[in-house]
Amino acid sequence: MKKHFLILLIPILSLFVSNEVKAQCNSSLVTVCSAKLSDDATYLKELRARLQAHESGQQMPVARFSLLLNKGNHYRFNICNAEEFEGQAILQLYDKDKLLGTSYFSKTKKHYPSFDFICPKTGVYKVLISFEDGKEGCAVGILSLVNK
Amino acid sequence: MKFKNYLLVFATTALLFSCSSDNTNKNENTSSDTFEVPDSLLQDDDMSLQLDKEAMDEIIQNISSPVEMSALLKDEGIEFNYKFLSPTDNIDEFNTNFKQALNLGVLGADMGYLNMYNKTGAVLNYITAIKELSDELKVGQFFNFETLKRLATNSENIDSLMYISVSSFDKMDSYLRENNRSDISALLVTGVWIEGIFLATQVVKENDNATIKERIGEQGIVLEQLLIILNHYKKDKRFFDLITELEKVNTALSKVEIVVEEGEAEMVEVDGVLMAVSNQKSTVKMTDEQLVEIIKTIEELRNFVIKY
Repeated sequence: MKKHFLILLIPILSLFVSNEVKAQCNSSLVTVCSAKLSDDATYLKELRARLQAHESGQQMPVARFSLLLNKGNHYRFNICNAEEFEGQAILQLYDKDKLLGTSYFSKTKKHYPSFDFICPKTGVYKVLISFEDGKEGCAVGILSLVNK
Repeated sequence: MKFKNYLLVFATTALLFSCSSDNTNKNENTSSDTFEVPDSLLQDDDMSLQLDKEAMDEIIQNISSPVEMSALLKDEGIEFNYKFLSPTDNIDEFNTNFKQALNLGVLGADMGYLNMYNKTGAVLNYITAIKELSDELKVGQFFNFETLKRLATNSENIDSLMYISVSSFDKMDSYLRENNRSDISALLVTGVWIEGIFLATQVVKENDNATIKERIGEQGIVLEQLLIILNHYKKDKRFFDLITELEKVNTALSKVEIVVEEGEAEMVEVDGVLMAVSNQKSTVKMTDEQLVEIIKTIEELRNFVIKY
Protein backbone atom coordinates (compact mmCIF):
# COMPACT_ATOMS: atom_id res chain seq x y z
CA MET A 1 0.00 0.00 0.00
CA LYS A 2 2.84 2.36 1.03
CA LYS A 3 4.56 1.48 -2.24
CA HIS A 4 1.45 2.39 -4.23
CA PHE A 5 1.16 5.65 -2.35
CA LEU A 6 4.76 6.56 -3.22
CA ILE A 7 4.22 5.55 -6.84
CA LEU A 8 1.31 8.00 -6.99
CA LEU A 9 3.07 10.68 -4.95
CA ILE A 10 6.20 10.99 -7.11
CA PRO A 11 4.45 12.17 -10.31
CA ILE A 12 2.17 14.45 -8.28
CA LEU A 13 5.17 16.09 -6.58
CA SER A 14 7.09 16.37 -9.83
CA LEU A 15 4.10 18.17 -11.32
CA PHE A 16 3.96 20.67 -8.49
CA VAL A 17 7.71 21.28 -8.71
CA SER A 18 7.50 21.79 -12.47
CA ASN A 19 4.56 24.18 -12.15
CA GLU A 20 6.38 26.21 -9.52
CA VAL A 21 9.38 26.57 -11.80
CA LYS A 22 7.18 27.52 -14.77
CA ALA A 23 5.47 30.16 -12.68
CA GLN A 24 8.72 32.08 -12.51
CA CYS A 25 8.62 32.97 -16.19
CA ASN A 26 5.19 34.59 -16.34
CA SER A 27 3.21 37.30 -14.60
CA SER A 28 4.71 36.39 -11.22
CA LEU A 29 8.08 37.61 -12.53
CA VAL A 30 6.45 40.93 -13.41
CA THR A 31 4.92 41.15 -9.92
CA VAL A 32 8.26 40.35 -8.26
CA CYS A 33 10.13 42.83 -10.45
CA SER A 34 7.51 45.57 -9.93
CA ALA A 35 7.72 45.04 -6.18
CA LYS A 36 11.41 45.98 -6.40
CA LEU A 37 10.50 49.51 -7.51
CA SER A 38 11.45 52.07 -4.92
CA ASP A 39 8.84 54.29 -3.25
CA ASP A 40 9.81 57.21 -5.45
CA ALA A 41 8.92 55.40 -8.70
CA THR A 42 5.58 54.90 -10.48
CA TYR A 43 5.13 51.78 -12.62
CA LEU A 44 4.55 52.55 -16.32
CA LYS A 45 5.15 49.48 -18.50
CA GLU A 46 6.48 45.96 -18.52
CA LEU A 47 8.72 44.56 -21.24
CA ARG A 48 8.76 40.76 -21.36
CA ALA A 49 11.45 38.72 -23.07
CA ARG A 50 11.67 34.96 -23.46
CA LEU A 51 14.54 34.01 -25.76
CA GLN A 52 15.99 30.72 -26.92
CA ALA A 53 19.74 30.03 -26.82
CA HIS A 54 21.85 31.48 -29.59
CA GLU A 55 22.60 28.98 -32.34
CA SER A 56 25.84 29.32 -34.26
CA GLY A 57 25.39 30.87 -37.66
CA GLN A 58 22.19 32.54 -36.53
CA GLN A 59 21.65 36.11 -35.37
CA MET A 60 21.85 36.71 -31.64
CA PRO A 61 18.27 36.48 -30.28
CA VAL A 62 17.02 39.88 -29.12
CA ALA A 63 13.61 41.14 -27.96
CA ARG A 64 12.89 44.62 -29.30
CA PHE A 65 10.49 47.21 -27.94
CA SER A 66 9.60 50.78 -28.88
CA LEU A 67 8.76 53.30 -26.20
CA LEU A 68 7.59 56.86 -26.42
CA LEU A 69 9.47 58.81 -23.76
CA ASN A 70 8.75 62.40 -22.81
CA LYS A 71 11.24 65.22 -22.46
CA GLY A 72 12.13 66.12 -18.88
CA ASN A 73 10.80 62.90 -17.38
CA HIS A 74 13.11 60.90 -15.13
CA TYR A 75 12.68 57.23 -16.10
CA ARG A 76 14.03 54.08 -14.47
CA PHE A 77 14.59 50.76 -16.24
CA ASN A 78 14.68 47.70 -13.96
CA ILE A 79 15.57 44.26 -15.25
CA CYS A 80 14.77 40.95 -13.54
CA ASN A 81 15.71 37.41 -14.59
CA ALA A 82 13.58 34.29 -14.19
CA GLU A 83 15.44 32.01 -11.81
CA GLU A 84 15.01 28.81 -13.78
CA PHE A 85 17.16 30.03 -16.68
CA GLU A 86 20.88 30.57 -16.69
CA GLY A 87 20.78 33.57 -19.02
CA GLN A 88 21.51 36.98 -17.45
CA ALA A 89 19.43 39.65 -19.14
CA ILE A 90 20.92 42.80 -20.62
CA LEU A 91 18.62 45.79 -21.18
CA GLN A 92 19.82 48.48 -23.58
CA LEU A 93 18.24 51.80 -24.46
CA TYR A 94 18.77 53.28 -27.93
CA ASP A 95 17.85 56.51 -29.69
CA LYS A 96 17.85 55.30 -33.29
CA ASP A 97 21.30 53.62 -33.51
CA LYS A 98 22.90 55.48 -30.62
CA LEU A 99 23.30 53.49 -27.40
CA LEU A 100 22.15 55.68 -24.50
CA GLY A 101 22.10 53.27 -21.60
CA THR A 102 22.77 49.65 -20.64
CA SER A 103 22.34 47.41 -17.62
CA TYR A 104 25.58 45.53 -18.42
CA PHE A 105 29.18 46.60 -18.95
CA SER A 106 31.08 44.08 -21.02
CA LYS A 107 34.52 45.44 -19.98
CA THR A 108 33.89 44.84 -16.27
CA LYS A 109 31.32 42.06 -16.91
CA LYS A 110 29.10 43.78 -14.33
CA HIS A 111 25.30 43.61 -14.42
CA TYR A 112 23.20 46.34 -12.85
CA PRO A 113 19.59 45.71 -11.73
CA SER A 114 18.51 49.12 -13.03
CA PHE A 115 19.57 52.38 -14.60
CA ASP A 116 17.99 55.83 -14.76
CA PHE A 117 17.46 58.08 -17.76
CA ILE A 118 16.42 61.73 -17.80
CA CYS A 119 14.83 62.13 -21.20
CA PRO A 120 16.23 65.11 -23.18
CA LYS A 121 13.81 64.90 -26.12
CA THR A 122 10.29 63.55 -26.60
CA GLY A 123 10.40 60.73 -29.12
CA VAL A 124 10.29 57.04 -29.83
CA TYR A 125 13.21 55.16 -28.27
CA LYS A 126 14.20 51.51 -28.70
CA VAL A 127 14.73 49.04 -25.88
CA LEU A 128 16.55 45.77 -26.56
CA ILE A 129 16.63 42.84 -24.17
CA SER A 130 19.13 40.03 -24.82
CA PHE A 131 20.96 37.46 -22.69
CA GLU A 132 24.67 37.41 -21.90
CA ASP A 133 26.58 35.06 -24.22
CA GLY A 134 23.36 34.28 -26.05
CA LYS A 135 22.12 31.89 -23.38
CA GLU A 136 18.47 30.88 -23.16
CA GLY A 137 16.61 33.14 -20.79
CA CYS A 138 13.47 34.78 -19.56
CA ALA A 139 13.37 38.29 -18.15
CA VAL A 140 11.15 41.25 -17.57
CA GLY A 141 12.09 44.89 -17.83
CA ILE A 142 10.02 47.43 -15.91
CA LEU A 143 9.82 51.04 -17.00
CA SER A 144 8.91 53.41 -14.19
CA LEU A 145 8.67 57.13 -13.70
CA VAL A 146 10.80 58.55 -10.89
CA ASN A 147 8.78 61.12 -8.98
CA LYS A 148 10.31 64.58 -8.69
CA MET B 1 3.12 -6.73 -10.50
CA LYS B 2 6.09 -4.69 -11.62
CA PHE B 3 4.41 -4.00 -14.97
CA LYS B 4 1.22 -2.93 -13.18
CA ASN B 5 3.26 -0.47 -11.11
CA TYR B 6 4.86 1.05 -14.20
CA LEU B 7 1.47 1.21 -15.83
CA LEU B 8 0.06 3.00 -12.77
CA VAL B 9 2.93 5.55 -12.80
CA PHE B 10 2.53 6.10 -16.52
CA ALA B 11 -1.25 6.50 -16.32
CA THR B 12 -1.07 8.87 -13.35
CA THR B 13 1.66 10.98 -14.93
CA ALA B 14 -0.13 11.11 -18.26
CA LEU B 15 -3.40 12.08 -16.57
CA LEU B 16 -1.78 14.80 -14.50
CA PHE B 17 0.26 16.20 -17.37
CA SER B 18 -2.74 16.19 -19.64
CA CYS B 19 -4.53 18.31 -17.01
CA SER B 20 -1.51 20.56 -16.79
CA SER B 21 -1.30 20.92 -20.53
CA ASP B 22 -4.98 21.72 -20.74
CA ASN B 23 -4.50 24.39 -18.11
CA THR B 24 -1.69 25.97 -20.08
CA ASN B 25 -3.78 26.11 -23.21
CA LYS B 26 -6.62 27.67 -21.28
CA ASN B 27 -4.26 30.37 -20.01
CA GLU B 28 -3.05 31.09 -23.52
CA ASN B 29 -6.58 31.62 -24.67
CA THR B 30 -7.90 33.71 -21.87
CA SER B 31 -5.03 35.76 -20.55
CA SER B 32 -1.79 37.37 -21.57
CA ASP B 33 0.17 35.72 -18.78
CA THR B 34 2.23 33.52 -21.06
CA PHE B 35 5.25 34.97 -22.79
CA GLU B 36 5.18 35.32 -26.53
CA VAL B 37 7.95 33.92 -28.67
CA PRO B 38 10.00 36.96 -29.74
CA ASP B 39 9.49 38.29 -33.24
CA SER B 40 13.02 37.28 -34.24
CA LEU B 41 12.12 33.62 -33.71
CA LEU B 42 8.77 33.60 -35.45
CA GLN B 43 8.53 31.52 -38.59
CA ASP B 44 5.43 32.71 -40.35
CA ASP B 45 4.47 31.68 -43.85
CA ASP B 46 3.02 35.10 -44.64
CA MET B 47 5.74 37.45 -43.46
CA SER B 48 4.18 40.50 -45.04
CA LEU B 49 1.02 40.14 -42.98
CA GLN B 50 3.11 39.41 -39.90
CA LEU B 51 5.22 42.54 -40.42
CA ASP B 52 2.14 44.64 -40.83
CA LYS B 53 0.77 43.43 -37.53
CA GLU B 54 4.18 43.81 -35.87
CA ALA B 55 4.46 47.40 -37.04
CA MET B 56 0.97 48.15 -35.73
CA ASP B 57 1.69 46.48 -32.39
CA GLU B 58 4.93 48.38 -32.05
CA ILE B 59 3.21 51.71 -32.55
CA ILE B 60 0.40 50.92 -30.12
CA GLN B 61 2.88 49.64 -27.55
CA ASN B 62 5.00 52.78 -27.59
CA ILE B 63 2.24 55.26 -26.78
CA SER B 64 2.74 56.84 -23.36
CA SER B 65 1.18 55.48 -20.22
CA PRO B 66 -2.10 57.00 -18.93
CA VAL B 67 -0.37 58.37 -15.84
CA GLU B 68 2.48 60.34 -17.43
CA MET B 69 0.51 63.49 -18.22
CA SER B 70 -1.10 63.46 -14.76
CA ALA B 71 2.34 62.99 -13.17
CA LEU B 72 3.57 66.08 -15.01
CA LEU B 73 0.57 68.15 -13.81
CA LYS B 74 1.18 67.07 -10.23
CA ASP B 75 4.95 67.67 -10.46
CA GLU B 76 4.25 71.18 -11.72
CA GLY B 77 2.18 71.90 -8.61
CA ILE B 78 -1.13 72.11 -10.49
CA GLU B 79 -4.17 71.62 -8.29
CA PHE B 80 -6.59 68.79 -9.00
CA ASN B 81 -9.80 69.83 -10.75
CA TYR B 82 -12.90 67.61 -10.92
CA LYS B 83 -14.46 69.65 -13.70
CA PHE B 84 -11.88 68.36 -16.20
CA LEU B 85 -13.01 64.75 -15.79
CA SER B 86 -15.26 62.95 -18.23
CA PRO B 87 -18.63 62.11 -16.59
CA THR B 88 -19.31 58.47 -15.72
CA ASP B 89 -23.11 58.62 -15.61
CA ASN B 90 -24.95 57.31 -18.66
CA ILE B 91 -21.96 55.40 -19.97
CA ASP B 92 -24.44 52.68 -20.99
CA GLU B 93 -25.41 55.11 -23.75
CA PHE B 94 -22.15 54.11 -25.45
CA ASN B 95 -23.68 51.24 -27.34
CA THR B 96 -21.03 50.46 -29.94
CA ASN B 97 -17.63 48.86 -29.40
CA PHE B 98 -16.14 51.90 -31.17
CA LYS B 99 -17.47 54.35 -28.57
CA GLN B 100 -16.92 51.94 -25.69
CA ALA B 101 -13.24 51.45 -26.56
CA LEU B 102 -12.54 55.16 -27.04
CA ASN B 103 -14.24 56.05 -23.77
CA LEU B 104 -12.57 53.20 -21.93
CA GLY B 105 -9.30 54.94 -22.81
CA VAL B 106 -10.68 58.32 -21.70
CA LEU B 107 -11.82 56.95 -18.34
CA GLY B 108 -8.52 55.09 -17.93
CA ALA B 109 -6.64 58.39 -18.24
CA ASP B 110 -9.08 59.99 -15.78
CA MET B 111 -8.49 57.16 -13.33
CA GLY B 112 -4.74 57.78 -13.66
CA TYR B 113 -5.39 61.49 -12.92
CA LEU B 114 -7.49 60.64 -9.84
CA ASN B 115 -4.95 58.09 -8.59
CA MET B 116 -2.05 60.47 -9.10
CA TYR B 117 -3.77 63.03 -6.87
CA ASN B 118 -4.84 60.36 -4.37
CA LYS B 119 -8.57 61.06 -4.94
CA THR B 120 -9.47 57.51 -3.98
CA GLY B 121 -13.07 58.33 -3.06
CA ALA B 122 -13.96 59.45 -6.59
CA VAL B 123 -11.93 56.63 -8.15
CA LEU B 124 -14.68 54.14 -7.22
CA ASN B 125 -17.11 55.62 -9.78
CA TYR B 126 -14.44 55.37 -12.46
CA ILE B 127 -13.52 51.79 -11.53
CA THR B 128 -17.20 50.83 -11.83
CA ALA B 129 -17.61 52.58 -15.18
CA ILE B 130 -14.38 51.06 -16.54
CA LYS B 131 -15.51 47.62 -15.42
CA GLU B 132 -18.81 48.08 -17.27
CA LEU B 133 -17.14 49.21 -20.51
CA SER B 134 -14.43 46.55 -20.37
CA ASP B 135 -17.08 43.84 -19.84
CA GLU B 136 -18.95 45.13 -22.90
CA LEU B 137 -15.68 44.81 -24.86
CA LYS B 138 -15.12 41.34 -23.37
CA VAL B 139 -11.84 42.31 -21.71
CA GLY B 140 -13.32 42.67 -18.21
CA GLN B 141 -11.41 39.57 -17.07
CA PHE B 142 -8.21 41.66 -16.98
CA PHE B 143 -9.75 44.29 -14.78
CA ASN B 144 -9.39 43.17 -11.18
CA PHE B 145 -12.53 44.96 -10.03
CA GLU B 146 -12.74 43.66 -6.46
CA THR B 147 -9.04 44.28 -5.69
CA LEU B 148 -9.17 47.77 -7.19
CA LYS B 149 -12.33 48.57 -5.24
CA ARG B 150 -10.68 47.38 -2.02
CA LEU B 151 -7.51 49.38 -2.71
CA ALA B 152 -9.51 52.50 -3.58
CA THR B 153 -11.16 52.47 -0.17
CA ASN B 154 -7.76 52.52 1.52
CA SER B 155 -5.76 55.57 0.48
CA GLU B 156 -2.55 54.06 1.91
CA ASN B 157 -2.52 51.58 -0.96
CA ILE B 158 -2.18 54.20 -3.66
CA ASP B 159 0.95 52.58 -5.19
CA SER B 160 -0.80 49.21 -5.51
CA LEU B 161 -3.91 50.89 -6.91
CA MET B 162 -1.80 52.69 -9.48
CA TYR B 163 0.15 49.54 -10.39
CA ILE B 164 -2.91 47.29 -10.73
CA SER B 165 -4.91 49.82 -12.72
CA VAL B 166 -2.06 50.58 -15.15
CA SER B 167 -1.14 46.91 -15.58
CA SER B 168 -4.85 46.02 -16.11
CA PHE B 169 -4.91 48.41 -19.07
CA ASP B 170 -1.67 46.91 -20.40
CA LYS B 171 -3.14 43.40 -20.16
CA MET B 172 -6.36 44.43 -21.93
CA ASP B 173 -4.34 46.06 -24.69
CA SER B 174 -2.02 43.05 -25.14
CA TYR B 175 -4.96 40.64 -25.18
CA LEU B 176 -6.80 42.68 -27.80
CA ARG B 177 -3.75 42.79 -30.06
CA GLU B 178 -2.99 39.07 -29.59
CA ASN B 179 -6.57 38.28 -30.55
CA ASN B 180 -6.66 40.32 -33.75
CA ARG B 181 -8.70 43.12 -32.21
CA SER B 182 -6.06 45.77 -32.85
CA ASP B 183 -8.78 48.19 -33.96
CA ILE B 184 -10.23 48.18 -30.43
CA SER B 185 -6.73 48.43 -28.95
CA ALA B 186 -5.98 51.42 -31.20
CA LEU B 187 -9.15 53.16 -30.00
CA LEU B 188 -8.26 52.44 -26.38
CA VAL B 189 -4.83 54.10 -26.65
CA THR B 190 -6.31 56.96 -28.70
CA GLY B 191 -8.84 57.61 -25.91
CA VAL B 192 -6.04 57.64 -23.32
CA TRP B 193 -4.03 60.11 -25.39
CA ILE B 194 -7.00 62.42 -26.09
CA GLU B 195 -7.90 62.66 -22.40
CA GLY B 196 -4.25 63.25 -21.42
CA ILE B 197 -3.80 66.18 -23.79
CA PHE B 198 -7.29 67.47 -22.92
CA LEU B 199 -6.33 67.63 -19.22
CA ALA B 200 -3.09 69.43 -20.08
CA THR B 201 -4.79 71.99 -22.35
CA GLN B 202 -7.47 72.74 -19.76
CA VAL B 203 -4.75 73.31 -17.18
CA VAL B 204 -2.79 75.79 -19.35
CA LYS B 205 -5.99 77.78 -19.97
CA GLU B 206 -5.85 78.64 -16.27
CA ASN B 207 -2.11 78.35 -15.55
CA ASP B 208 0.71 79.88 -17.54
CA ASN B 209 3.05 76.94 -17.19
CA ALA B 210 5.96 76.65 -19.66
CA THR B 211 6.68 72.95 -19.02
CA ILE B 212 3.07 71.87 -19.64
CA LYS B 213 2.85 74.11 -22.72
CA GLU B 214 6.01 72.47 -24.03
CA ARG B 215 4.55 68.98 -23.43
CA ILE B 216 1.43 69.99 -25.36
CA GLY B 217 3.55 71.34 -28.23
CA GLU B 218 5.38 68.01 -28.51
CA GLN B 219 2.21 65.95 -28.85
CA GLY B 220 2.41 66.04 -32.65
CA ILE B 221 5.05 63.29 -32.29
CA VAL B 222 2.50 61.02 -30.57
CA LEU B 223 -0.41 61.97 -32.80
CA GLU B 224 1.62 61.14 -35.89
CA GLN B 225 2.01 57.59 -34.52
CA LEU B 226 -1.68 57.28 -33.68
CA LEU B 227 -2.73 58.40 -37.13
CA ILE B 228 -0.56 55.72 -38.75
CA ILE B 229 -2.55 53.03 -36.92
CA LEU B 230 -5.99 54.63 -37.25
CA ASN B 231 -5.56 55.15 -40.99
CA HIS B 232 -5.53 51.36 -41.36
CA TYR B 233 -9.22 51.39 -40.45
CA LYS B 234 -10.32 54.55 -42.25
CA LYS B 235 -12.70 52.62 -44.53
CA ASP B 236 -14.96 52.33 -41.50
CA LYS B 237 -16.96 55.58 -41.35
CA ARG B 238 -16.62 55.92 -37.60
CA PHE B 239 -12.82 55.71 -37.89
CA PHE B 240 -12.92 58.12 -40.83
CA ASP B 241 -14.84 60.67 -38.72
CA LEU B 242 -12.43 60.26 -35.80
CA ILE B 243 -9.42 60.68 -38.13
CA THR B 244 -11.00 63.86 -39.55
CA GLU B 245 -11.21 65.32 -36.03
CA LEU B 246 -7.67 64.20 -35.20
CA GLU B 247 -6.36 65.72 -38.44
CA LYS B 248 -7.62 69.14 -37.29
CA VAL B 249 -5.51 68.75 -34.14
CA ASN B 250 -2.60 67.51 -36.24
CA THR B 251 -2.78 70.59 -38.45
CA ALA B 252 -2.63 72.81 -35.37
CA LEU B 253 0.23 70.81 -33.82
CA SER B 254 2.25 70.69 -37.04
CA LYS B 255 2.75 74.46 -36.83
CA VAL B 256 4.84 73.99 -33.69
CA GLU B 257 8.59 73.93 -34.35
CA ILE B 258 10.83 71.51 -32.47
CA VAL B 259 14.58 72.13 -32.71
CA VAL B 260 16.93 69.31 -31.71
CA GLU B 261 20.64 69.78 -30.96
CA GLU B 262 22.60 66.54 -31.04
CA GLY B 263 24.88 65.60 -28.12
CA GLU B 264 26.90 62.69 -26.81
CA ALA B 265 25.60 60.05 -24.40
CA GLU B 266 27.42 58.57 -21.40
CA MET B 267 26.81 56.33 -18.40
CA VAL B 268 27.69 57.71 -14.96
CA GLU B 269 27.10 56.61 -11.38
CA VAL B 270 25.41 59.24 -9.21
CA ASP B 271 24.93 58.43 -5.50
CA GLY B 272 25.04 54.72 -6.27
CA VAL B 273 22.47 55.01 -9.07
CA LEU B 274 23.55 54.20 -12.60
CA MET B 275 22.47 57.03 -14.91
CA ALA B 276 22.28 57.16 -18.69
CA VAL B 277 22.99 60.79 -19.54
CA SER B 278 22.27 62.21 -22.97
CA ASN B 279 23.55 65.68 -23.80
CA GLN B 280 21.03 66.08 -26.58
CA LYS B 281 18.75 69.13 -26.32
CA SER B 282 15.35 69.89 -27.79
CA THR B 283 13.47 73.18 -27.81
CA VAL B 284 9.78 73.66 -28.57
CA LYS B 285 8.84 76.89 -30.35
CA MET B 286 5.11 77.58 -30.08
CA THR B 287 3.31 80.94 -30.24
CA ASP B 288 0.29 81.82 -28.06
CA GLU B 289 -1.93 81.81 -31.18
CA GLN B 290 -0.76 78.30 -32.02
CA LEU B 291 -1.55 77.16 -28.48
CA VAL B 292 -5.05 78.68 -28.65
CA GLU B 293 -5.71 76.82 -31.88
CA ILE B 294 -4.45 73.54 -30.39
CA ILE B 295 -6.70 73.99 -27.32
CA LYS B 296 -9.74 74.69 -29.52
CA THR B 297 -9.21 71.63 -31.72
CA ILE B 298 -8.59 69.39 -28.70
CA GLU B 299 -11.81 70.57 -27.03
CA GLU B 300 -13.78 69.82 -30.20
CA LEU B 301 -12.14 66.40 -30.50
CA ARG B 302 -12.82 65.51 -26.87
CA ASN B 303 -16.48 66.55 -27.20
CA PHE B 304 -16.75 64.38 -30.30
CA VAL B 305 -15.39 61.42 -28.33
CA ILE B 306 -17.48 61.66 -25.17
CA LYS B 307 -20.82 62.59 -26.79
CA TYR B 308 -23.36 59.75 -26.86
